[in-house]
Amino acid sequence: MVHFELLVQGLVQGTIYALVAVGLTLVYGLLRILHIAHAGLFSLGGYIALLLANQTGSFAFGLACSVLLVGLAGMAIYRLAYQPILDKPPYVALIVSIGLYIIMEEVFRLVFGPSTISFINPPLQGIVEFYGIRLREVEIATMAVAILFIGGVGILSTKTRIGVAWRATVDDPEMARSFGVRLYSVRYFNFFMASVMAATAGAMVAVSNNMVEPTMGGVPAYKALAIIVMGGLGDVRGTLFAALALGIIESFGTIYLGSILDRDAIAFAFLIIVLMFRPQGLLVRN
Amino acid sequence: MSKNLRIGFTAAAVALALTSSVRAADVVKIGVNVPQTGFAAADGKSALTGIQLAVEKANANNGINGKQIELIVYDDQASPKNSVPIATKLANKDKVAVAISGSYSSPTRAAAGVFQRSKVPYISAFAVHPDITRAGNYVFRTSFVAEVQGRAAAKLVGQDLGKKRVVITVLKNDYGKALAAGFNSVAAKYGIEVVNSYEYSIKDRQFGPIVSSIKNDNPDAIFDTGYWFVSAALVSQLRAGDVKAQIVGQEGYDGEKFIEIAKGAAEGVIITTSLDRDSADADVKAFMTAFKAKAGYAADMVGASGNTAARVAIAALRAAKSTDHEAVRNAIAAVKVDAVTGKISFNALGEVFKNVQVQIVKDGAWHRHSIIDDPELLAPPSK
Repeated sequence: MVHFELLVQGLVQGTIYALVAVGLTLVYGLLRILHIAHAGLFSLGGYIALLLANQTGSFAFGLACSVLLVGLAGMAIYRLAYQPILDKPPYVALIVSIGLYIIMEEVFRLVFGPSTISFINPPLQGIVEFYGIRLREVEIATMAVAILFIGGVGILSTKTRIGVAWRATVDDPEMARSFGVRLYSVRYFNFFMASVMAATAGAMVAVSNNMVEPTMGGVPAYKALAIIVMGGLGDVRGTLFAALALGIIESFGTIYLGSILDRDAIAFAFLIIVLMFRPQGLLVRN
Repeated sequence: MSKNLRIGFTAAAVALALTSSVRAADVVKIGVNVPQTGFAAADGKSALTGIQLAVEKANANNGINGKQIELIVYDDQASPKNSVPIATKLANKDKVAVAISGSYSSPTRAAAGVFQRSKVPYISAFAVHPDITRAGNYVFRTSFVAEVQGRAAAKLVGQDLGKKRVVITVLKNDYGKALAAGFNSVAAKYGIEVVNSYEYSIKDRQFGPIVSSIKNDNPDAIFDTGYWFVSAALVSQLRAGDVKAQIVGQEGYDGEKFIEIAKGAAEGVIITTSLDRDSADADVKAFMTAFKAKAGYAADMVGASGNTAARVAIAALRAAKSTDHEAVRNAIAAVKVDAVTGKISFNALGEVFKNVQVQIVKDGAWHRHSIIDDPELLAPPSK
């Protein structure tokens, strides 16, 4: 019974990782940029949702604004920070991205204060019980939106014209352009979708912990990196699988290995093992 | 830049340099390392507010025998890699008469060695690791050493609350581990059976797996050694997971923020700490009022501890009638001060004996639960 609970808890954690990491892998797949500032957008999403919910009393309104504004912020980051340096070697964009993340963390501290901020009336706190497992509504909601978004991305990329253009751009941008795909539109759309997912994850984590703090992006920043490496950089299915696997491994590891390795150490031990045996990524055939 | 402007700037710079050197002779400098950015910035703000209140009060009352106190404050981000250069700077460049740590165990422990080598007196306001005062005879602590507080928690859980099956959740750093060690050292004496113990990192906010496992352990009480910003999430998730065991925390929970985050789940949580909100003492009441006015939120353990450490420094500087480091050190060692966290006097190791205040969350605020005053149990280490 405990093991079943640990499995479910691992899946809950895994879906949060997935929401952040899938966005990151989308950006990497398209532009070969390790977009660390993605974690800053995760924090921004949490802050906007929480502050607006506290102002207006409606979490739904806060979440909607958060998703929209952070999506636009992601597009702005692409336009202002990455587009001018796309012809530079990849590490240039990486350095820019790390710098951006640090700036964002400090701006949160300056604007919103160094301490935590909590919901006045935390939403989604009800308990849902099934088969003896108790989950909070926020955990179920997190899983639901993750399925919605990630499933949506899957359908979008395989079943629609936008998706075809998207994948064509990933495979060969020049060829795609010669077939009339507007590269910039695809990239804007990509950043928008990725940022929307990060904002949703940030808002859900804010509800789950009932707080936002300037450093809340720190853990997702490096865990999502580990996950997209395990997933095989740019591979959405692999990233999803790696995120869920990591959530479950951490869940069991916290209980059975907690006195030897902490949660992060477990994550990186898993990463090292994956890289030793499947350096191309968990699901990538090669 | 025009020539006039350049002359103007030069003159201003010279004037500033002159006034600061004149001022330097008229002031007594107290150095402070405190986290102002990073994860511990909120506690840093409380500590610094407490220190500033003590200094403002002293400056309004003739300062240090006529000289005003100047605080030299640096941000250590609660990290030893920052606190060491800060300590070096305070001791050698700023030449402070005495220094105060308004920071956590790891940075304080690292800085203590530097101050000891430079023979600059150093007072730790609320860091709990036992090795801090063992750096040498220039290092003092005005708060509980972790093992004392851990022992007090064991008495509280096993004897006063009568809870025997206990799970310990340990924050994996100097602070959390030292508290758990103190608890474990006397748990058996109070009939406590530690049925399981879990460790977590300061970055953890999702405790689902630990909650599931604790539910399976079915303890009477849970002793947790985390800070409020980690443990508020743990406590909320324990209650959401239908774990009904009594939760016992410690100083790290102390403050309004814990209740603000954990909301209803905070009700009934009991902690060991050093600030009694329901104190009838006029000095404590005045401090609580002044703190709230200055900081904008209610006084907490960290603020009260910062205030206590600063009062000790000020009393010693006044008694020493000099800023000579050895004279100040000897004055601190001999100090007897009434502070907001209790009466302060040091043993040979530079540790204090104080009663442990047990506080409980009732109707969304911290209130007095009981006081632990067993002199044998609370005796700090003396070597």
